[in-house]
Amino acid sequence: MKAVFVLLLVVSLAFIGYRMSFRGFRLPFAAVRVHFTGIEFLFLGLLLGPAFLNVVDEETQRGLAPLTALLLGWVGLLFGFQFEVSKLRRLPFEYLAAANFQVLFTLVSVFLAAYTVLPLVRSMAEGPRLSVSLTLAAVAACTGQSVLSLMVRSRETTRTSLVRLLQTIAGLDGFVALLFFGLAFALRSASMDSSDWLFQIGKDLAVSLSLGLGLTAVFLLLLGKRMTQSELILAAVGLAVLTSGAASVLNLSPLIANFFVGVCMVNLSREKERIYQILTTVEKPVYLLILLFLGVSWKSGSGLWLALGGAYCLVRIMSKVAAGVLIPRLFMGLREISPQLGLGLLDMGGLSLAILLDFSQGFQGPAGTRAVSVVLPAIILTFFLSPYGLNQLLFGKQDEDTGKD
Amino acid sequence: MKTPAKTKPAPLIPYFLALTGLVALAWWIAGGIEITVHRQYTGLVDFSLGFVLLAAYACAQMFKTLGLPLLTGYLFAGIVSGPHVAGLLTKDLVENLKLVDELALSFIALSAGGMLRWDFLKERMKAILLNLSFQTFFIFALTCGFFMLTASLFGSFSELSSSQTAALAMLLGVAAVARSPSSAIAVISETRAKGVFTETVLGVTVAMDVVIIVLFTVVLSAAKTMLLPQSPGMWVSMVAVLPEILGALVIGLLLGKAIALYIDRIGKDIPLFLLLFAFSVTRVSIWFEHWVHDLLHVSMTLEPLLICMSAGFTVQNFSRTGPDFLESLDRFSLPVYVLFFALAGAALDLGALLKTWPLAVGLAAVRTVGLLGGSWLAGTLSQDPPLHNRFAWMAYLTQAGVAIGLARLTERQFPEMGLYLTTIVLAAITINQMAGPITFKAVLNMVKETNKR
Repeated sequence: MKAVFVLLLVVSLAFIGYRMSFRGFRLPFAAVRVHFTGIEFLFLGLLLGPAFLNVVDEETQRGLAPLTALLLGWVGLLFGFQFEVSKLRRLPFEYLAAANFQVLFTLVSVFLAAYTVLPLVRSMAEGPRLSVSLTLAAVAACTGQSVLSLMVRSRETTRTSLVRLLQTIAGLDGFVALLFFGLAFALRSASMDSSDWLFQIGKDLAVSLSLGLGLTAVFLLLLGKRMTQSELILAAVGLAVLTSGAASVLNLSPLIANFFVGVCMVNLSREKERIYQILTTVEKPVYLLILLFLGVSWKSGSGLWLALGGAYCLVRIMSKVAAGVLIPRLFMGLREISPQLGLGLLDMGGLSLAILLDFSQGFQGPAGTRAVSVVLPAIILTFFLSPYGLNQLLFGKQDEDTGKD
Repeated sequence: MKTPAKTKPAPLIPYFLALTGLVALAWWIAGGIEITVHRQYTGLVDFSLGFVLLAAYACAQMFKTLGLPLLTGYLFAGIVSGPHVAGLLTKDLVENLKLVDELALSFIALSAGGMLRWDFLKERMKAILLNLSFQTFFIFALTCGFFMLTASLFGSFSELSSSQTAALAMLLGVAAVARSPSSAIAVISETRAKGVFTETVLGVTVAMDVVIIVLFTVVLSAAKTMLLPQSPGMWVSMVAVLPEILGALVIGLLLGKAIALYIDRIGKDIPLFLLLFAFSVTRVSIWFEHWVHDLLHVSMTLEPLLICMSAGFTVQNFSRTGPDFLESLDRFSLPVYVLFFALAGAALDLGALLKTWPLAVGLAAVRTVGLLGGSWLAGTLSQDPPLHNRFAWMAYLTQAGVAIGLARLTERQFPEMGLYLTTIVLAAITINQMAGPITFKAVLNMVKETNKR
């Protein structure tokens, strides 16, 4: 009964929230930012969770697990739809290379930092240590697009190619991050003492891909005749729920399994535009609910974990900034790009949140809790810092270098 | 549920292949993987839901090419996935998904209310009242009589005393009168039917829900008087049930006004709002029943279906927002119907049918005769076209949740006898629910009222 009440409560909150969030109210920019990203839902989750009111207690969270899996699946499917090969081919090679360089640089830096620091804070077995470090790196590597789109909408900039590069990086860097997260998921159940982990990674990858291809084939068969809008909604919801469920039963990540389905769908289906439209219709409530559930699972708010969160945020920012400095030097075609590029890549988007939630769901116990406790303070810090970084990059000293890039 | 008018039926083979793929996947996931952690279990819930949605859709499309209603396809997929055949949807899982079931039912009740037009009801009031009276009388009397006469022929009922047999016969009679408004609405939506016949059937089916509540209260009290001498009399129960019905209708009216206000003033995300509304009404009704019971030690039920029907009726007839309301319901209706009827299919008790099939077949046949007599007489007195009168019975066969609910309520009052009732009712419903949508679609075609909306 309580799970039902909470379900009603959280869905209502998301429903009301997405009408109020993601809007450019006429407020000072920091306040706009708070509304725009729906960060208030993180605090709302914290308030409703075991740390304060305990409305969403452990048992209720277990009762709501099918909803969480569906949310993750939805994000995965949506993200997969961004990888349409014909559109990717049209992107300049340098942009793709820069996106991959940036994400790999951040992944490696954050991974090494986390892998080194974690055992100093808490003793951890090798498997969880690797998994947590990989996940923290994957979360850090993803770049969000919300601040960029708000800023570009609210204020005109002449640096169009820079904006396009930022959009490309933010749109694509999640792919490598997801693969990294996939490694974390595979290592979760593998023993590190033998070569078992290598087999596990291969098996998980093969099963995820087969599931993606198999379900796409089923879906394409169902799409044999042109579906009405409500039939398509039914099919899209059915696909996301089925894939999430199958992934959870197979101990895979619903996020990654749905991502593969999304990639297959966008490249093989005639109805991709209509399906994408359906997926984006509830994109905002989905993100709000993810924020809320993350807030609920935030249990450890001690000074140590807050400090670790700050350090994690710092390492992430430094990696992004360093990658931004290196990109114009490494890629000939991007010489004209500002070396402050990294300042525009600080935003943490929905994919970061989804990876974190997937991890906390899949790794019940201290590992999941710790990862959430480190990342959430960093997410909050980033929510406030990223607009200033982007503002500096896009509009700082604009008079002098208009059109430089 | 928008279905393009007179579309060419889709080819069977792609759907068959899709279904084969889904079944193979289900075989592997549900049969071959050991469930050891909670995450896997919740995954199985998601998987089953997704499977039911897609498999029922594919199944229904295949049935459509054969000229059968989509609803039959959803039911069939549910039966095959259910605990009695493939076992993908286990009894526990079906029970756990009851929330979806309740939500869907309230949502369908909103549609039912929204489809009723006051001006038409006024015009057809005589026909509707005559149908309600004659059908109720014929079905109740014939079912009671049939059971009283034949009960001793069936081994398990020969142990019942004569008063128990009479009580059981009356309760079976009420259950036989019950209909399935949700099935009727699903078939009407699918066939896009409109006209005098369709709207009369809809009016009778929806109004029968109110009749059934009153009739059940009366019969249950009579049964209690026969079996439990210290129980309150029939009139006491009657007086108690009337405020419940009136209360539900008034609350529905007020909530309907609130829905209209929301659509008029805010007008955004209406389908989502209606889904939440249906959900809230269901849960609050249940909570209210417990609360009144704990506080005052009396039983008071505000039937969520009546509230939702009344709300839908108010929005459609007493506000300007009726078309927006119906369109919004329509946008969500397909997933709701698929899930609801597939789960209803999974809940159909094939075991009970196997155990009691001779009696169930007999009861279904007697009920059909009652429907035939009642609807023919009502139609003739209302001077409806002879074609309508001859075949009207085909529109009223469907039966589902209401009858099951009655049986379960009886089981709570008389545990031993109620078990017999539930078994027979479930068996008879299985027959009626499989045949009903097919006959209803056929009669809508016969009277040429399909594809009129």
